[in-house]
Amino acid sequence: MNIHINGQAYPLAHENPISVSAALALYFTEPQQSTFAVALNSDFVGKADYEQTMVKNGDSLDVLQPIQGG
Amino acid sequence: MSLNIYGQSLDSRLLIGSALYASPEIMKKSILASGSQVITLSLKRQNPSKQSGQQIWRYLQEIVQKVNGQLLPNTAGCKTAKEAVTLAKMSREIFQTNWLKLEVIGDDYNLQPDPIELLIAAEQLIKDGFNILPYCTDDLVLCQRLYDLGCEVIMPWASPIGTGKGLMNPYNLETIRLRLPQATLILDAGIGKPSDACLAMEMGYDGVLLNSAIALADNPVLMAKAFGQALQAGEQGYVAGIMAQRQTAHPSTPTLDTPFWHQNN
Repeated sequence: MNIHINGQAYPLAHENPISVSAALALYFTEPQQSTFAVALNSDFVGKADYEQTMVKNGDSLDVLQPIQGG
Repeated sequence: MSLNIYGQSLDSRLLIGSALYASPEIMKKSILASGSQVITLSLKRQNPSKQSGQQIWRYLQEIVQKVNGQLLPNTAGCKTAKEAVTLAKMSREIFQTNWLKLEVIGDDYNLQPDPIELLIAAEQLIKDGFNILPYCTDDLVLCQRLYDLGCEVIMPWASPIGTGKGLMNPYNLETIRLRLPQATLILDAGIGKPSDACLAMEMGYDGVLLNSAIALADNPVLMAKAFGQALQAGEQGYVAGIMAQRQTAHPSTPTLDTPFWHQNN
């Protein structure tokens, strides 16, 4: 299956949905060292729900981090 | 005199952005020179291997602690209420604050806020417990609607973001102040020079939010200081009571006992 994280395709060799935690492990080398928040298909997913929330084929994950702003 | 935003008392009436500075060090020095205690920031996608966001985040945390201040996350880049609500929730989780500078942009040319989506987002976010500081146009009725929804703070623009054009419609801004006496009014966006900020304060505005005018100055640290002083001057001028304009000239020097050679003219 294919998922997208921050617009980039991540092809997986199986069709089984994976948890948000598992998807984040594909994106970050060390997720626990980073400050970020997550949206799945444009809906916020809180940290407490990363294990239970599943990412399936075609889903898009946004992982946002702090940046300067006006 | 302090500024009160959602129950928090602040010594400075300047809210400052953290973007566009030449370096993090200049940003830090500028924010400290301005005296501001409210610093805006945002969330974006970033390259996970570079960790640049992590560095900025640590830097801003240090600054906020140093000034005993408050972070103000924004929803820059959002074009719909749904996008803004999602980004707001993400910001709250990271920054651990209910404060939110709510931006919903309706036009790419002048980055004008979308009043319809702004109201929808504000209503939803207030129900979700956010303390909203909405960035909006200088439309009296829109400001009134936002206030009625529960926005204690309203932030009409001076002019489009980053233009530095100053107060485009002073009449509109004065009318908003007049008609919403209980609202905390922060003039946001388009400020170009310290006298713009001073003028807003002389109108009775409660504060000013700006970024580009300081960050893009030749000397941002000095400009930050200038803005801090301009706000103080404007506020004191407003509180002191500005004299009424008069149509005709009135001599300042007493005319009594004018020398005789003047009296013959």
